[in-house]
Amino acid sequence: MTLLRVVSLSFLLLLPVSLAGQQRPAVTQALDLERRGDYAGAVEAYKSLLRVRPGDATALLGLERSLLPLNRSGEMVGVLQAALAAAPTNSAVYGIALRSWAAAGRLDSVRSLALRWSRISPNDETPYREWGAAELLRQNRAGARGAYELGRAQLRRPDALAAELAQLAVTEGNYAEALQEWLLATRRFPGYRGSAVATLGQAPEDVQPALLRALSKESDFLSRRLEAELRARWDDPDGAVRVLTAALPPDRIQSIAALQTLLEQLRLLRTRDGKLAQAHVLEALADRLPGAQGARLRLDAAQAYSAAEDKENARRMLGGLADDRTTPASISSGAAATLITVLIGEGKFAEAQKRLNDARAALPSDDYDDLRRSLAAGWMRAGELARADSAIAPDSSVEGLALAGRIRLFRGDIAGAISRFKEAGPYTKDREEATRRTALLALLQPLDRDSFPELGRALLLLEQGDTAQAAAGLEQVATGLGPQHGGAEFTLLAGRLLRQTGNPKDAERLFRAADAPEAPGTAPAAELALADLLVSSQRPGEAVAVLEHLILTYPQSALVPQARRQLDEARGAVPKT
Amino acid sequence: MKRRDFLRHSGAGLVALHAGRLGGWTGRSGAPWLLVPMDEVQTDHLKAYGVAFRSLKRGVRSEWFLNYRSGSFLLPGDDITARDAALAGVSVEPLDEDQVAQIRGEVQGGNMDAVPLEKPPKVAVYAPPNAPPWDDAVTMALNYAGIDFDKIWDSEVLGQKLRSYDWLHLHHEDFTGQYSKFFLNYAGAPWLVDMVERNRAMATSQGFTSVPAEKRAVAIAIAGFVERGGFLFAMCTATETLDLALAADGVDIAASYADGSPMDPRASSKMKWDLALAFHNAQLELSPTIPVYSDIDGHQVNSPDRRQPLGSFTLFNFSAKIDPVATMLVQNHRQVIPDFYGLTTSFTRKTLKPSVTVLAEEPGAPWVKYIHGEHGQGTWTFFGGHDPEDPQHQIGDLPTDLSLHPHSPGYRLILNNVLFPAAKKKELKT
Repeated sequence: MTLLRVVSLSFLLLLPVSLAGQQRPAVTQALDLERRGDYAGAVEAYKSLLRVRPGDATALLGLERSLLPLNRSGEMVGVLQAALAAAPTNSAVYGIALRSWAAAGRLDSVRSLALRWSRISPNDETPYREWGAAELLRQNRAGARGAYELGRAQLRRPDALAAELAQLAVTEGNYAEALQEWLLATRRFPGYRGSAVATLGQAPEDVQPALLRALSKESDFLSRRLEAELRARWDDPDGAVRVLTAALPPDRIQSIAALQTLLEQLRLLRTRDGKLAQAHVLEALADRLPGAQGARLRLDAAQAYSAAEDKENARRMLGGLADDRTTPASISSGAAATLITVLIGEGKFAEAQKRLNDARAALPSDDYDDLRRSLAAGWMRAGELARADSAIAPDSSVEGLALAGRIRLFRGDIAGAISRFKEAGPYTKDREEATRRTALLALLQPLDRDSFPELGRALLLLEQGDTAQAAAGLEQVATGLGPQHGGAEFTLLAGRLLRQTGNPKDAERLFRAADAPEAPGTAPAAELALADLLVSSQRPGEAVAVLEHLILTYPQSALVPQARRQLDEARGAVPKT
Repeated sequence: MKRRDFLRHSGAGLVALHAGRLGGWTGRSGAPWLLVPMDEVQTDHLKAYGVAFRSLKRGVRSEWFLNYRSGSFLLPGDDITARDAALAGVSVEPLDEDQVAQIRGEVQGGNMDAVPLEKPPKVAVYAPPNAPPWDDAVTMALNYAGIDFDKIWDSEVLGQKLRSYDWLHLHHEDFTGQYSKFFLNYAGAPWLVDMVERNRAMATSQGFTSVPAEKRAVAIAIAGFVERGGFLFAMCTATETLDLALAADGVDIAASYADGSPMDPRASSKMKWDLALAFHNAQLELSPTIPVYSDIDGHQVNSPDRRQPLGSFTLFNFSAKIDPVATMLVQNHRQVIPDFYGLTTSFTRKTLKPSVTVLAEEPGAPWVKYIHGEHGQGTWTFFGGHDPEDPQHQIGDLPTDLSLHPHSPGYRLILNNVLFPAAKKKELKT
């Protein structure tokens, strides 16, 4: 902490006291001058006051604050000597004097003053704490350590000044010592646990196992809490939950507090393991809380399980909640929605459909529509296109029309798909989906037919994740089309899919086939894809030739800047991205 | 022809070239000349230098129109040049003979000049063999523009190979042999360990007892290259340490970790500044832990107490017909350029020799940024700072990608230096 911050803090602490002292107009006047930024005036006012009452702590603090911005802190020394003589037992005066002596570089005086103060307050840590702080202000960590250790010895308490020594050890990078000190400090004052986790959490990765081993040797619950929270910070959420739940005491309040603190740490994690750990903690909390509060946590646990793709546990949590008549309505409908999402994710569309029909009245309409679209998309991916169509039929929202377009497309109804994609327009809440829809529309528009079941089947295979079969289907589709009527575009798409499946040889063949002069909209994209493939196949010379051809043949193409970038990379003119 | 008239003409030409390429590049501009404009209309200023350089390599006649549209190039309108420009994304404007004659008239009448470019300079970059290509602004500029160069290091310099080059660039080397004075602050860092081992091995292989002694011999060889007519361009710490090494004749200016003996505490007063190229009367930094060499650098970036903030520097205008060399070196589409740090960022005015030509300065500041001078038959140019597009470069930073800075005025200054040795020799007044 800097001297300025110490002084500012002192100012804030004393402000109410000073304001309350309306009977002391001299102090009020000095404070006013200080507030207005007239530090020179404030110094004179405080000094006048101190000439009358040399040991007035409020005036001393005010003088200290006012001298600092004037760079005249050295003037404190004389004033404080008078103050100490006038008020030899006033702790506040000693604190100010220690800071001033330290700032003036009078280290011997700091030491003797601290010892004098400790004799006045023999059971108090404050003299040593202030002494250490004064040393730290001068970046003298060894001096600070000496002060704290002397304090501990003098006070004859092994946990005295433990928090200070822990923080010092952290700044010195000695995390093993810091841990031992934090354990002492937190056992005496449990409120230190947060600081302990925050500082120990910064330990480098190679030190962490030793700290955890040291912690595991401690048998008390406080150590388990510390270990759990550190594990959560160090990306071991599973270990965190395991350690804490095994050590939870019978005391319900204490257990809940420990679980809630760990949950706060786990919420910072975005990984699957982090979500799963959150779910376990939420379930443990739900088991300890009654009524609506417990139901709410059970729902949260289900959602966390679902987010962690643990469908079974999500369903276990939700099963009871959704059907339980005692569950509050808002939680029941949330549980139903989550359960339907889980069922759709598991491919149990019929059961999801039934649950959705049952919950319709309880669900907010937006939630119901979202679920209905999710269900229709599920049916669609399963190849149940008629059921998907009927599930989405009444939906005239942008998302509904977009989904209906895809269903039509997979059924081979090209005209119907184009019509719905156009109705949906290029905008929707989901930017990725909007881009995909626009790309699909661009793919379909060169086609000169309204119905194309083979294309629908190939694209459905792609939707279902069967990339290799989809590529074969698209190549087959393309052979029956002229390059300018979609043939080149579908060949290019098939090539891209084959490249994704790790078949560069056939991908290259298709990229070259898609590079048809009759399809000038597709050819630059095919050449760019081919060049990228050649670069990744360690054939930069051939890639350069292809890229040069692209730039020179299609100078108006929007892909030219990208081609130039690749050309630079292939030639080693710029760093690889 | 007035400038605005020419712009109208050339704009029409550009459209014509453009229309001729609709549906594909035809391979010919149809005009005998191509103007590479270097003002704000240029789409890639840095690659334009590469196009000009490669046309020289093919042995065709080119010209550099100093101060005409920010230093444009006139290239022949042959197929290869037009194709090269199209591939590089460099905008060109086709000109017929009448239009060229009009430009020549305009050049003749103003503070402009047409400098014939004769042959491509043979370029060498002085850098350790393991230096990554993205760690040096000049190497990046040359790579990006597509200008050929060889990498050389101490053995080549001491082995007389410099004689086969026209132009030499110095990497941010420490010619005092103190490893950029990072030895103590970065002790144990793998890159530093590698640097120390490599330099010690090189010094031993060349028969020197210490790295500082070997680096001074390299500095002397480089000064000899300039004296014999070579063109030297240095940036960052190579500028300052080259001169310090040259002037330290019989003076120990290296810390004990570098040569086993401490620096001479009276080194500043013993330096022989007549041996240096650009600087004199500098006070050397005596502390081995402060990565600062002397008060030559105005910004002192690695000294927290002395570090100066970055401002911007302004290029001087020179008379193109009287001072063509200085004019070439400052050709740019921007006159005021944001400053950037390096181990040596700038050069204090008080340490500049009177013969030095200042090319760019920070007005009102006690330092300048970009200087030039002659030494024997050759010339040297020093440019302070490390990377014009990474103003606060730190060790380990991501490399600068020049495709994101194709109009960089700072990098243009570097490339001016590469092309200027190609200019046909005239009676140079600078």
